[in-house]
Amino acid sequence: MAEPILKVASLTKCFGGLTAVDDVSFQVAQGEIVGLIGPNGAGKTTLFNVISGYYAPTKGSVVFQGADIGGKPPYHLAGVGIGRTFQVVKPFAGLTVLENVVIASFLRHPKRADAERQAWQVLETTGLADRAHVSAAGLTLAGRKRLEISKALALEPSFLLLDEVVAGLNPTEADRTVELIMKLKEQGLTILIVEHIMRVIMNISDRLVVLNFGRKIAEGTPAEVCGDPQVIQAYLGEAAA
Amino acid sequence: MKTTTGRGPAFLAFLAVALLVLPLVMHDTFVLRVLTEGIMWVGLAIAFDVIAGYTGYLNFGHGAFFGIGAYTIAVLMMQANLPFALALPAGGLAAGIVAFIAGVPTLRLKGAYFAIATWALSRAIQQLALNLDFTGGPDGMRLEAFLNPQFFYYLMLITVGLTFAILWYLLERAPFGLKLKAIREDEEGAKALGLNPTKLKMQAFILSALPTGILGGIYAYWITFIDPSSTLGDLVSDQAVVMVVFGGMGTLFGPALGAVLIFAFKTIFWAYLSDFQLLYLIILGALIAISVIFIPNGLWGTLVRRKADRPRPERAPAAVVAPEEGN
Repeated sequence: MAEPILKVASLTKCFGGLTAVDDVSFQVAQGEIVGLIGPNGAGKTTLFNVISGYYAPTKGSVVFQGADIGGKPPYHLAGVGIGRTFQVVKPFAGLTVLENVVIASFLRHPKRADAERQAWQVLETTGLADRAHVSAAGLTLAGRKRLEISKALALEPSFLLLDEVVAGLNPTEADRTVELIMKLKEQGLTILIVEHIMRVIMNISDRLVVLNFGRKIAEGTPAEVCGDPQVIQAYLGEAAA
Repeated sequence: MKTTTGRGPAFLAFLAVALLVLPLVMHDTFVLRVLTEGIMWVGLAIAFDVIAGYTGYLNFGHGAFFGIGAYTIAVLMMQANLPFALALPAGGLAAGIVAFIAGVPTLRLKGAYFAIATWALSRAIQQLALNLDFTGGPDGMRLEAFLNPQFFYYLMLITVGLTFAILWYLLERAPFGLKLKAIREDEEGAKALGLNPTKLKMQAFILSALPTGILGGIYAYWITFIDPSSTLGDLVSDQAVVMVVFGGMGTLFGPALGAVLIFAFKTIFWAYLSDFQLLYLIILGALIAISVIFIPNGLWGTLVRRKADRPRPERAPAAVVAPEEGN
């Protein structure tokens, strides 16, 4: 295993009496795609929000490229190379698609002309270039999900957190997004992805981390995880296991 | 800016020249006075729009910055015997400092809560001016009269012209304007893109307060008399809100247009129907309701959108491939 880019150690996040993430540890190696799966309410998005700085951890640590980033604000983390998308997409609805991406481009390209050039490149990669001048509010769901990815990519991250970028798309759109993710991996990006669609997550992930009720119940290659009785029980219930 | 292609810059240049030579050929002091105040309202409206339109924080205490500027100049000139040239920047600075202090707690609030908090703040500042000794309490303050209408016309014109130019650069050319809009559209989403909303909102609030304080200072020296109800009352804030909402939030030309139209309406109304002042307020209120319901983008926003909806003539291809919008 290559040098880990992200180390999550004994991470716990409580909201009052509810423990949403409970003592979770795992690592992500440079250039790897790690899938994060689990039933609804397992704590996947909470874990994402802690890693991307939206929540401070209650206990435990998040180490990114050797530096402890637990509790650092999201805008700081964008600067050190963590890009993320939102499950509930967050387009700047009153602005055009291009403007949406340019705002993210400013992080690495403070001059407007440079930022626009880079934003165009990103839109070419994600296939949104022909919609660049459309208001972000006018995009379809598939378009909005691509816009989320575009904005995250415009930050030129070394580590990408993708939260359900495929769910809700039709099969053709889903395939295009999977293609895009594989292309990003080839370019050397490290990716942590949450996804409900098993066909997708099993195909693209090098390794899987499985959460249930906030705890990690399994970790390994897709094949290993599929055979794990705890995972089968979590997904299909007692009788199946 | 895409809305000023072609004839736009030519029109602005013509307007600037016309406003600059006007006092040389026209000697009616009443008209000059009306124009001076009209220009002041353009400045107040565009400064208000920085925080309200671009950043999405409706400030119902904008008038407080105007009053703080006015009172700072009055106190410095009358109590500390400072010359106007030194007192004026201090007026802007004072407004900026108050914006900073007030911004720390209030910019955490959103929507109606921010509007209420800023309104309460402006009430509190008015009470301060009413009760302190060095501000003259309810009697207000009288400044040394400097009766030179041309001087104030040009000072107002240059201040507002510079404010417009600086804001236009920062909001429409530099990245700052887009970053503010990102916060307006989705603050949480903006954070993930490396934007620090707390810092940007504070910058916008100060940028909105500074020119407002300076305009208040010019106003005080020009009118030579200020009191808590004229410079710290509700009317300054309320009128700024109506001008910006009616003209078009989140643009610079919209508030300027709204300011000109509403100020012209007010002047005409005052001149011919001064017995019906209550009616003016009713019309003002109705206007804001009508514009919010029927032209939510304001006059300018609606005009520009109409223009953008029409098929555009072929333009010289840009360096990058920029396909036609919409499919």
